[in-house]
Amino acid sequence: MSRHQPGSAFTNQAPPVHFPHWRGRVYAILGLLVALGVAMIFTTAVGSVQIPFSTTWQILLSKLPLVQVTPTWPGTLETIILEIRLPRVVLAGLVGGALSLAGATYQGLFRNPLADPYLIGVAQGAALGAVVGFLLPSPWHNMGFGIIPLLAFVGALISTAIVYTLARVGKTLPVTTLILAGVALGALLGSVVSYLIISSGEKMHGIIFWLMGSFSLSQWSEVKVVLPYVVVGVVVILLYARPLNVMQLDEEQAQQLGINVERLKLILLAAATLITAAAVSFVGTIGFVGIIIPHAVRLIWGPDHRFLLPLSVLSGAIFLILADVIARTVLAPMEIPIGVITALVGAPFFLYLLRRRRRIIF
Amino acid sequence: MKLKSLGVIIILAVLSLSIVTGCQPGFQPGTFTDDLGREISIDGIPQRIISLAPGNTEILFDLGLGDRVVGVTEFCNYPEAAIAKPKVGGFSTVDVERVVALEPDLILATSIHEAKVIPTLENVGLTVVALAPETLDGVLDNIILVGKITGRSQEASRLVAGLEERIKAITDKTESLPESQRPRVFYVLWHEPLMTVGSEARIHGLIVKAGGTNIAQDLTGDYPTISLEAVILANPQVIIAGSGHGSGEDSTFQFAKTEPILEDIDARRHDRVYEMDADLPSRPGSRIVDALEFFARFIHPELFPQI
Repeated sequence: MSRHQPGSAFTNQAPPVHFPHWRGRVYAILGLLVALGVAMIFTTAVGSVQIPFSTTWQILLSKLPLVQVTPTWPGTLETIILEIRLPRVVLAGLVGGALSLAGATYQGLFRNPLADPYLIGVAQGAALGAVVGFLLPSPWHNMGFGIIPLLAFVGALISTAIVYTLARVGKTLPVTTLILAGVALGALLGSVVSYLIISSGEKMHGIIFWLMGSFSLSQWSEVKVVLPYVVVGVVVILLYARPLNVMQLDEEQAQQLGINVERLKLILLAAATLITAAAVSFVGTIGFVGIIIPHAVRLIWGPDHRFLLPLSVLSGAIFLILADVIARTVLAPMEIPIGVITALVGAPFFLYLLRRRRRIIF
Repeated sequence: MKLKSLGVIIILAVLSLSIVTGCQPGFQPGTFTDDLGREISIDGIPQRIISLAPGNTEILFDLGLGDRVVGVTEFCNYPEAAIAKPKVGGFSTVDVERVVALEPDLILATSIHEAKVIPTLENVGLTVVALAPETLDGVLDNIILVGKITGRSQEASRLVAGLEERIKAITDKTESLPESQRPRVFYVLWHEPLMTVGSEARIHGLIVKAGGTNIAQDLTGDYPTISLEAVILANPQVIIAGSGHGSGEDSTFQFAKTEPILEDIDARRHDRVYEMDADLPSRPGSRIVDALEFFARFIHPELFPQI
């Protein structure tokens, strides 16, 4: 039995498409939740230093309340597992989920398959803020909190605010002007960033690594800062899944069906930008995740945003956690920038999905 | 005879006891300030030291601390003994897991680690001292500082005294040279893009001490790019090109020696294009004085024929 999906950019011309029954998609969500847990445990057990899995398991267990495990391992292993790997894995999951959700949201809002979380200048604004932070003299770095993530976050928000102001037409926010303003401002900021990089001397290496994205040196303090933004943003966006479905008709039709389109755009844009800015501020601009994961999810489980959004969050989290473990183990002790891994691994997988599914969809 | 041997045994026992308890001449626990303005307290002589930069590694081995070094970077290739040490990172990337697993009690970092690496290491309770000398004198100060921290003050003082003597042998002759007797020097760091050393770089200080004038001295920053036109306009009399860069390659030197556009400058016409192992002037260790001596010979062969 097939259910006819609400209209979307992908199924307008096709005959009814056979996506899994809704029950199947609920199971998929549950399954991915379990997979996420497994991935997190597995990747915490793996790293450039060999630690037996049983030791990792015991260390993790010992941190659960009510569980009694007598420590038989050296303190350094516990430090590695709990203070170096675990925050990194958690942060990778948060960032992967945030970027994928933001990408899915932008794709739904703009009804454009090429939309990604960096479309309206967030990435370049964050990059500029971060590069400025890198170039500040020593006293700024000794203040007890990270000046670079703070400036990156501020940069991301300011550039989005500028784009928003430029793109407004009266009380409306036309999608076309938004994209154009975003691309233009992004190009301008990008050139300023390039100039600063060239004149950065010995800090150039660190800056470029930041820009390519990395979870290296993640700490719990960073997770604590990123978590509230991502949680709030994710919850807000998930609540608007149904209106987002209706938005896939064009805006006039959606408006006539009772959706306050301008308010919806504002809320969703703000939430998606917030989670992107929070994600990017600490780990740099990781590409590819925000555009490809939502498409892959759509190809497997369909464009209904009530499932697409949560599945994107989970898939993105798992994907980035796995990409990170590859990035830090393949060439240890050197780390491959994670953007390289996401592209190398994600692109072929996506092409494979496209081949398998295109006959169904196109 | 028995009394004498007893006396020897007692002396040996006391000495070994003092070594074991850390009461070595030259070490006093205390709070030290590193080059990034951070205050670090060191309570006992560090026995497991990790270096996050090749310059720091060289200083450690210079002071005879080679066997206390438990981790270095991929680029720490001098002295030979450093190559066999476990690797904990690359240029500015550090594998924190490996660092923690090696259980160091002292980590020597540099300014590029300031933004993220040092906070992360301190977060897991490790002791980090950052060395970031801006001048040749800064390098000597660093050697003394590392000596104090590691209980090798005497070796450090001796080493620095020897280095200062060699430096003095050069500056005695070059300090009073007027502008007109200071050849224009162009130090080529890299050729694609063409990069040289600005007034803030240590190498600039070497050029000045060696009795030359850096044609890029008005450029701010430490490693600015420079245009070919600016080089031709400045018409350097001496060109020193850095080679090696860890792989033995000398394309920068070949560029300086054979690039047709530079044919007419003084340095090429009088065949005063010299090659230098790039590590020597770039690394903030004792070999920087070797570099100074090379520079002196290149720039003023008439004053320093025998170095």
